[in-house]
Amino acid sequence: MRKITILLAVLISLMAGNVIKAQDISPERKQAIDSLALEKVRDLSKYVSIIGSKSTPWSEANRVIDRAEELFMQGAEMGVSSLYQSDILYFKVRQYFERLMRLNYDRVEIEWYKIEYVSDLQAQPDGTYVGVITIFQRFKGFDAEGNLVYEDTTKKDITIYVKRKETQIGGRLIGFWDVLLGDVRVKETRK
Amino acid sequence: MVRSNRMHIREAHRLFIFAPLNLAMREKKYLLLSLFFLFCTLSIVKGQSRNIGAFEMDETELYAMTKQMSQFISRFNYEEDQFGKKLLLSSPDYRNSSKRNAFLPLLFDGENLRTSSALKDFFIDDLTKNTDSSYLQFLGGRWYAETEASFDYQGKQVSVIMILMIEKERLGSKWVLTNVYFPAFNKLFPEGELAEKEKHFLHPMSHELDFMNIHKAFNQPEVIEYYASKSFSPDFLTLFFYEVKMGRLKFKQVNTLKFHIFQMKDWYFEVSYFNRPGMNSGWLISNLMYIKEAEKQTIMKFYQP
Repeated sequence: MRKITILLAVLISLMAGNVIKAQDISPERKQAIDSLALEKVRDLSKYVSIIGSKSTPWSEANRVIDRAEELFMQGAEMGVSSLYQSDILYFKVRQYFERLMRLNYDRVEIEWYKIEYVSDLQAQPDGTYVGVITIFQRFKGFDAEGNLVYEDTTKKDITIYVKRKETQIGGRLIGFWDVLLGDVRVKETRK
Repeated sequence: MVRSNRMHIREAHRLFIFAPLNLAMREKKYLLLSLFFLFCTLSIVKGQSRNIGAFEMDETELYAMTKQMSQFISRFNYEEDQFGKKLLLSSPDYRNSSKRNAFLPLLFDGENLRTSSALKDFFIDDLTKNTDSSYLQFLGGRWYAETEASFDYQGKQVSVIMILMIEKERLGSKWVLTNVYFPAFNKLFPEGELAEKEKHFLHPMSHELDFMNIHKAFNQPEVIEYYASKSFSPDFLTLFFYEVKMGRLKFKQVNTLKFHIFQMKDWYFEVSYFNRPGMNSGWLISNLMYIKEAEKQTIMKFYQP
């Protein structure tokens, strides 16, 4: 009887151990999540280029800002600094995009380097995984005469949150990994 | 996927992996390394650049850059290959000693004498002897973040150093504050002269007088700590929280960040971010010291009192 009690206690503690452990992510699953996260980051890059372009009508730019905002967790912020202005300016995501839309150049060129680096994922206390994707952007602003008046290359470190969610499809519960973007640190790397 | 592979191959050309070399060949290796970088910057770079619209986009330096601390750890452990691709545990290259030995010098700040001496060779040699303790672990403890941040304090902008460490909690982990360094706090608790300290005490029969003499302790507030137990040591983190709660210390921003790593047996090193052009940028080892484990405990008390 005593042996059974001990065995039960061990089993319960093992089960409890499983319950409180964040859901493991296999390397294959991690690759799939990375792809999903990169897809969102590429969407963001695309939206930034559209919002920043002077040829985008105002109403269209606003519609794209709405789409871009949907990629982010609520309350996400952009922290921006430059080589000569080390003070970090904080913007809410929408505020950042609206500022981008109103930049005082006659023409802007926004291009993205192909390089992208995805960190490991780490579980935070509530079990949500968090990681960082690094991308690089080249920006050029031109005046009415077509002269290049500003250019920079920025490193963007984008937080990604990865959470296991469930949805009902045809009466069946289907689990999936959802990715949302979080705070973004924008740091100028060179002129 | 094809694009991604092409990217990795490009990085391989740039970060080139040398064949395993023994210690006697190290000097030659570094010469080769320098020549390789020179070659990269003068010829390959041009060959690898690409055009998008009006831009001549050269990504060479961005590939070489250690872009995140996470990448530093992967590169340090040789858990991502020379192409920047994560290695699976089953891969024979995973933590491969000879490849790691050739790759590690690239993780040092090349413009700093403290990290380019023979000490570096000994360090790399120690790390690549195939001991399990020579790999960095995110959740392994004994590594700290040091942030220098600006605060407003009594109408002035001041600099406060905050120390943080990773702490496991519930389903994961989080960064927690372990200590602060703020000169104004340290000035409150100066290392006094022993002779002066010895003058300040409450005699052992003070209780019989209802501690009527305790006013002496408060007459000189600047040395009130002399009346505390010899085991007393000021808790600067509590003082810091107090000042913040009282609204006297207001956070402005983080200015710099570096990491102090004590995980490697008998070694300490510091990792800083180098925002500069060239093939030696991003998160790199900015200081390296040989410190016996016993001595480390004393030093670590500053980071984790």
